[in-house]
Amino acid sequence: MAAPKIIVVGGGLAGLAAVIKIAEAGGSVDLFSIVPVKRSHSVCAQGGINAAKDLKGEGDTTDKHFDDTIYGGDFLANQTPVKAMCEAAPAIIDLLDRMGVPFNRTPEGLLDFRRFGGTLYQRTAFAGATTGQQLLYALDEQVRRYEAEGKVKKFEGWEFLSAVIDSKGQARGITALDLRTMELRSFSADAIILATGGIGAIFGKSTNSVVCTGSAQSALFQQGAYYANGEFIQVHPTCIPGEDKLRLMSESARGEGGRVWVPRNAGEKRPIKQIPESDRFYFLEEWYPKYGNLVPRDVATRAIHKVVYELGLGLDGQPMVYLDLTHIDRATLNRKLEGILEIYEKFVGDDPRDVPMKIFPGMHYTMGGMWVDFNQMTNIPGIFAAGECEYQYHGANRLGANSLVSCIFGGFRSGPIALAYAKSLAAAEGDGGHGAELARQAEMNKRLLNNEGTENPFKLWRELGATMTEHATVIRYNKGLKRADEKIVELLDRFQKVNLADRTQWANTSFAFARQLYNMLELSRAVVQGALLRDESRGAHYKPDFPERNDEKFLKTTKASFTGSIEGPRFEFEEVDTQFIKPRARSYTAK
Amino acid sequence: MATVQNPSTTPLRQGVQPLRAGQGTSFLWRKLHSLLGIIPIGAFFIEHLLSNFEALKGPAAYGAQVKFLNALPLVRVLEWTFIFLPILYHGLYGMYIWIRGKSNVVYYPWAGNWMYAAQRWTGLIAILYIGQHVWRQRFAGVSLPENPGAAFAKVQHELASPIMLAVYVIAMIAICWHFSYGIWLFAAKWGITPGTIARRRFGYACGALGFVLLIMGLASIWAFISPKYRNAPENVTPVVAYLHSTAPPYAAIAG
Amino acid sequence: MANKTVAFEIKRQASPNAPSVWENFELEWRPGMNVISAMMEIAANPVTADGRGTTPITYDSNCLEEICGSCAMRINGKARMACSALVDNLEQPIKVEPLSKFPLVRDLQVDRSVLFENLKAVKAWVPVDGTYALGSGPRVFPQQQEANYPLSNCISCCCCMEVCPQFNDVTNFVGAATIAQVKLFNNHPTGNVFKEDRLRALAGDGGIQECGFAQNCVEACPKQLPLTEAISDMSRDVLIQKAKDFLRG
Repeated sequence: MAAPKIIVVGGGLAGLAAVIKIAEAGGSVDLFSIVPVKRSHSVCAQGGINAAKDLKGEGDTTDKHFDDTIYGGDFLANQTPVKAMCEAAPAIIDLLDRMGVPFNRTPEGLLDFRRFGGTLYQRTAFAGATTGQQLLYALDEQVRRYEAEGKVKKFEGWEFLSAVIDSKGQARGITALDLRTMELRSFSADAIILATGGIGAIFGKSTNSVVCTGSAQSALFQQGAYYANGEFIQVHPTCIPGEDKLRLMSESARGEGGRVWVPRNAGEKRPIKQIPESDRFYFLEEWYPKYGNLVPRDVATRAIHKVVYELGLGLDGQPMVYLDLTHIDRATLNRKLEGILEIYEKFVGDDPRDVPMKIFPGMHYTMGGMWVDFNQMTNIPGIFAAGECEYQYHGANRLGANSLVSCIFGGFRSGPIALAYAKSLAAAEGDGGHGAELARQAEMNKRLLNNEGTENPFKLWRELGATMTEHATVIRYNKGLKRADEKIVELLDRFQKVNLADRTQWANTSFAFARQLYNMLELSRAVVQGALLRDESRGAHYKPDFPERNDEKFLKTTKASFTGSIEGPRFEFEEVDTQFIKPRARSYTAK
Repeated sequence: MATVQNPSTTPLRQGVQPLRAGQGTSFLWRKLHSLLGIIPIGAFFIEHLLSNFEALKGPAAYGAQVKFLNALPLVRVLEWTFIFLPILYHGLYGMYIWIRGKSNVVYYPWAGNWMYAAQRWTGLIAILYIGQHVWRQRFAGVSLPENPGAAFAKVQHELASPIMLAVYVIAMIAICWHFSYGIWLFAAKWGITPGTIARRRFGYACGALGFVLLIMGLASIWAFISPKYRNAPENVTPVVAYLHSTAPPYAAIAG
Repeated sequence: MANKTVAFEIKRQASPNAPSVWENFELEWRPGMNVISAMMEIAANPVTADGRGTTPITYDSNCLEEICGSCAMRINGKARMACSALVDNLEQPIKVEPLSKFPLVRDLQVDRSVLFENLKAVKAWVPVDGTYALGSGPRVFPQQQEANYPLSNCISCCCCMEVCPQFNDVTNFVGAATIAQVKLFNNHPTGNVFKEDRLRALAGDGGIQECGFAQNCVEACPKQLPLTEAISDMSRDVLIQKAKDFLRG
């Protein structure tokens, strides 16, 4: 029997981590990625990666990391996998260190750690302000090594379209589109690991990269996979508003002492430097004295939202507040934050070492995702998921610097489990469903390419983004969510009249985008309707009409499944594993 | 259905090919080119300028210097091994380097890029100049190795033509530039001055050296065209000089 | 009220063998607009300045924060990242062309995989024994970290190669980016186990000797990598390696 073949879809941290584990164990991997893997969205992570190594003599432990993560996620995360992740984190940092990640160091040559949101410990290892980039490169280099040895084959510039599922409901491969030649092909595999990241594009402008459309997750969702906790979307408190996207201003800016404030007077006319301390409203520090500027992201985001929209204190009446680093000396800033300060300087034109940055919350992270069991497998046998595209590790809100560790941990776990699954898989009957799936995809492509209509997919997408951002981000009202769902239905209908300005069969980006857009539309209903059903406030999900957490009714995982009907997805709720830490009220206001 | 065995991306049919790791000999030839520019060519260039500088002392001193050089042991072997062949190689391989590069100073008018282009143009001027110079001064006309005393007059005749004078001045500038920037490049490319500051400092040093060499070179040219030695004798050491004349050659003629 | 507009001239080419044509676009100006947002605008409304319908432009982009390295193109003649090219800082009409040294795919999209092949050729990785728990990594002092960190910021955009007069299909020069990675990995306490291999690789045809030291790489690098310093250092190390190899026989 030939060596089992695994397909990994997505070449970010989770995907690469999975590939490394499989290649190391002697498996054969085909790695699919829309962009060259070194350009995956993981490069954007800035601040750091959490691990309770307690190198600062604070008495930090993996248990405290576990507690912070569960508490930060408002108890929605299943505790068994989170506990395992927190316990594995220190070894992951060591491994990354061995792989050559240029982590910042203490004078003695040991790893340096800084403090991040939602914790009182210095637990975040970092490589300047480009930690994600450095981590991704380290894994990319290891994969390149396996590629050079012939153990990994990369399919860069290919987009995953669907899974190939046999008559028994088991995965047998995938179909994918070559984005250059527009060729549609199916590829066989004994197991598939999906590691396709977040769904930022559904919100139009976000901090996510262009490829983070959620298209692959949606395709699987439409093929019968559960999508879990879709309503939990992290809105990052500090983003730089832009024409094309929202650029992240890392939490590390606050970790290194950055202070968020607005002038106390709405009509403040004095230049910034002449505003005395007494007239500056450091609202996070006043409202949350213990955590100060380092409250979890959902809390900070809602505070900024409140200051701007309820108190009317946005800068010059605009939805923006100051993130101030000017009290820290330049040398320190350059040493620890240069990367992110350059981003601000480059894209805004002001030097944040001299002038406080103007920031506003923006869609940032997808806590929800493919439902998976504790073995990272979706409900479709043979399809695994790891990284941001699955739902397991962050509950209702992700703590800063936990995403990198969850991606790598998820990837490392899924790889060997998928390999073990693949080894025990019986041979497929017939063609394993390849022919039928290929025909289905070919038909979809043909219909889209020949469709006569008047709608431009990029315009539909803008409308989707505006609707989702308005109704399904920081503050949610059932009325608004209903309106958003109606809007999505309207957009789905208009999608039937989509007209591609480009019908060529060579590097046709509108065609690829239109396929993604349809998937975005279908998936956004799981987000909106999931939010609609959850009449409580928990973590990032906040409804002013239901401001309290309701454990009795909603300490449950939302599981959406695709129906294909006009009503949208079907929902069911699953008990949350809370065997280690009893849910308690979540509040960061204590002194 | 079998998994597709073809490469995942369309192979590069055009465009720049990947590094041929550890293969080929171009490293050796390129480094040889670089090294020859300093030693012996650069060394010879300095020697030549110093020798020419003797011209400022007049035709006799110049002739004596030429004679001294031609009296070196194995001088013909030295001349070919350390001057002609290295220059020929440096020049031809330099042209080969030039045609393989695609200068883009039009789009990227940065200082280093200008220097890159200038190094090629000055190299071209140098090799063309040296070609005619060696031919006309070393091989054609009066044979200087045999008649070192004729050196001053031979050069003076050459520089009497305004065109040739211009050629010499331009070539002197180009070669001094090419040499001094060449030293700078050598230090940068052989890892002697890796840092930005080191390169900048060494740049000043090379600039100063180039300037001094240029002044020396132009001064020598001046010696041949200045009124002081106008109409120098055709040969300051006539055949009789070979008979161990004790009188100073110039005095002998004057007498 | 007449709105302020921005004029673009974009070089289009439908496929590798098709002829190239220039198309003009006139877009409404918006504050903070960059070249990418202009192309997004064209995708949503693919009409040229003279009112002719056209196709959305094919180009590479991903993070839009100048960290993924995707969107390198020539803007007003110069290779740079499109996401950080703010319209307000550019002379109009803004001319946008694909990188010229890489095989063209379509419009502004080119194939830069040669860089990844080069990284393979120089073994640009740290050969760890395995991913299982083997304890902490080697000690690295902050001074070393600060020296190496800039080199690890290379985003593989290939701007250094595009602007290099020596990087072309005659020399097949490896380019500054790969040379900088050789320095990075040779500096790493574990990575330097391959030091000799990497240096020998760099002495191959198309290797470090092809550098003409025009220094365009360091000028063009959007991440300010110390590229010329890396070339200098590696040139020396390659030379010493070759000399050692020669003397050892």
